[in-house]
Amino acid sequence: MAMAIDDVFELDFSGYSSTTTITTTTVTTTTTSTENDHHTCDWNVCSPIVDWEAFPVNHDDFQDLIESMMEDEGLNQTTSNSNSSTDTILIDEETSGEDFKGLRLVHLLMAVAEALTGVNKSRDLARVILVRLKELVSPNDGTNMERLAAYFTDALQGLLEGAGGGPVKHLINNGPYHHHHRDDHHHQADVLAAFQLLQDMSPYVKFGHFTANQAILEAVAQDRRVHIVDYDIMEGIQWASLMQSLFARKDGPPTPHLRITALSRGGNSRRSIGTVQETGRRLVAFAASIGQPFSFHQCRLDSDGSFRPSALKLVKGEALVMNCMLHLPHFNYRAPDSIASFLSGAKTLNPRLVTLVEEEVGPIGDGGFVGRFMDSLHHYSALYDSLEAGFPMQSKARALVERVFLGPRIAGSLARIYSTRADEEGCCWGDWMGAGGFKPAKISFANHCQAKLLLGLFNDGYRVEELGFNRLVLGWKSRRLLSASIWTSPSKSD
Amino acid sequence: MFHAKKPSTMNSHDRPMCVQGDSGLVLTTDPKPRLRWTVELHERFVDAVTQLGGPDKATPKTIMRVMGVKGLTLYHLKSHLQKFRLGKQPHKEFNDHSIKDSPALDLQRNAGSSSVMMSRSMNEMQMEVQRRLHEQLEVQRHLQLRIEAHGKYMQNMLEKAYQTLASENMASGSYKGIGNQGIPDMGAGMKDFGPLNFPPFQDLNIYGGDQLDLHQHNMERPSSLDGFMPNNDNICLGKKRSSPYGGSGKSPLIWPDDLRLQDLGSAPTCLGPQDDHLFKGDHHQIQIDRGTDLDSISDIYETKPPVIQGDPMCDKNAKLERPSPRRAPLPSDRMSPMMNTTGGMPQERNSPFG
Repeated sequence: MAMAIDDVFELDFSGYSSTTTITTTTVTTTTTSTENDHHTCDWNVCSPIVDWEAFPVNHDDFQDLIESMMEDEGLNQTTSNSNSSTDTILIDEETSGEDFKGLRLVHLLMAVAEALTGVNKSRDLARVILVRLKELVSPNDGTNMERLAAYFTDALQGLLEGAGGGPVKHLINNGPYHHHHRDDHHHQADVLAAFQLLQDMSPYVKFGHFTANQAILEAVAQDRRVHIVDYDIMEGIQWASLMQSLFARKDGPPTPHLRITALSRGGNSRRSIGTVQETGRRLVAFAASIGQPFSFHQCRLDSDGSFRPSALKLVKGEALVMNCMLHLPHFNYRAPDSIASFLSGAKTLNPRLVTLVEEEVGPIGDGGFVGRFMDSLHHYSALYDSLEAGFPMQSKARALVERVFLGPRIAGSLARIYSTRADEEGCCWGDWMGAGGFKPAKISFANHCQAKLLLGLFNDGYRVEELGFNRLVLGWKSRRLLSASIWTSPSKSD
Repeated sequence: MFHAKKPSTMNSHDRPMCVQGDSGLVLTTDPKPRLRWTVELHERFVDAVTQLGGPDKATPKTIMRVMGVKGLTLYHLKSHLQKFRLGKQPHKEFNDHSIKDSPALDLQRNAGSSSVMMSRSMNEMQMEVQRRLHEQLEVQRHLQLRIEAHGKYMQNMLEKAYQTLASENMASGSYKGIGNQGIPDMGAGMKDFGPLNFPPFQDLNIYGGDQLDLHQHNMERPSSLDGFMPNNDNICLGKKRSSPYGGSGKSPLIWPDDLRLQDLGSAPTCLGPQDDHLFKGDHHQIQIDRGTDLDSISDIYETKPPVIQGDPMCDKNAKLERPSPRRAPLPSDRMSPMMNTTGGMPQERNSPFG
């Protein structure tokens, strides 16, 4: 098997943009214009990517391989120097240049991933391929695939440099832009603009917020006092619509008092839209403007990011909700330990409801780093496609969102994947919670219905599925991207 | 276990001979003795059942005792009672006809039972569908409000940022105006937007206000946009009451037709007036009209959020141009207004956020 990816692994990069479809056993280049799209290649026989098993670890061979991969002529040329000339990938004459280029970029990226962690690790090889990649792509122009590849290239570059010595951990939160970006922090205006655009072109943010909020509203329908502990409040916009709904609710005690405690971290959040205090002020003002009784509190996380339930100020008789938004597109990755401390702390507090929104990861199998790398590529590819569908003409607008949010996210994602060893490969947080004893709470018909209606306002490519009765998953075409789930405390009786 | 054999018993040449017994029962001379439930007999049955407290309380045994009809077996009563329980209404109708022992009546009864069963479950189904529809409309309404709140918050955030930047820029002297409002350039990111226009805040109400200031770029369907202004009754999704929030009374959200109906299967095609009670006053009237192609309306509004959020930065025109694969352009005369002409709604922008 030429590639390090499992057979079960299927990648579908197709979408609105002219990206390519890749499966592990066949190579299919799809174009929008041609009919005879499907040219398959038996991966077992040929591969444009280095066939690590076939070649001894010999420097000369590597050079050949590199050269063959770098050639511009045709993919035919990039097959390994095996005697499989007749089995080379058939590229139809009419295959569009873009698809071909996209495919090649993927192959190159995969090769870097392999070079970094594969059986025959070679930092030099990785470095060389990265140089080549950087010539081919730019974060500001080109197709989705090209811009995506630019960010992945950058992220891989960061890994390469980080792997040399320094801790990769800082990349997780700061991304490679941290050291070669002009400013350490994006211009505040850029961040705001990008955030606005993100919401205009895609439903991710609203999906996460509204699903969580609907579940919260249902859970506290009869309560007079509600207390929400928000793991990562960011700009606070989630609570605007909750306040509106609480204020306007018809059944149950009218206009319940809402209290929000936001957890704050030391150090500056790179992509933040202000500090927690600013968010608090905004929320207080918003609540005042609609007449919703409200109070805002802050609770500091420890320096290592752990959450101590005892630091919370609780009031008797209030309905406690723990809100955990993790991977909305404009969010930073948080350290797993910190998240774990929040969720386990939540258990001890016996909350009415825990809401969790996280990214949905594909099946990994034994893919190892390369497998997870490709999954990440697939994930962000779908994300890019979905944004393009929302803003097809405005590549500059999308480029801004990509630069401000997605690029750093990609870097963080790769850094996380890279630093997670196979044995400590975690499952998603939902599974973790289930295993930890949290009880799934049912997603209501109204909630599901709301999600569908919301998506209907955007593009038909989005779909929502109800998976396991406490979870709604938002996806783009066939790729699941974001999962919103709700839980109750283990000791609560139904 | 049903008595009659459907139509076959009704063919005259097929019709079995009937014998009237002493007790007044009409029995057929079929190989299998079948009882014909005449109107009279049925009336006695109904009386007995009523005496016993209704079809659910009555049992074949007790009915038999009460009726006191000789020759009536438990078997007869059991099946008749079951049918009776399943569909009382048609039977009532038949009773009203007072037709005696006609094959037609029997046919009706025979056919009636199964169709009674069907119409009963049809009723249930219909009720369920109605219930779901109502719920869905509620959800829609709430979603609309939530999106508005979301948008309002966003708008406030942006306003504040603009103001901060304005003061910063004025101080630093690098002052670039966009449009004629003199709002300073918002950083490198915004500059990249080239052809995109970022109208100043005051113009953000254009979607809901009186001016549809969308001339900047080519619009695919300019004529259809004119349909937005007048408020006609067909599909009106405007929120007419002014929200506590200044200028957020416009909520031109369109709900694609098929999205609502696809889950409901046999949904009624028009909710129309009977659902007025669901809505406060003259709030939202959402009429599901299968005939109207809402798709392209929603296409235009698909990324409506910018307006709702008071977004200064979106390129509305780009969105309007956006071709969505499955949606065809809607001719303007069929367009109903999504927006609420709040004619006189003031563009209050006094932000409490300061």
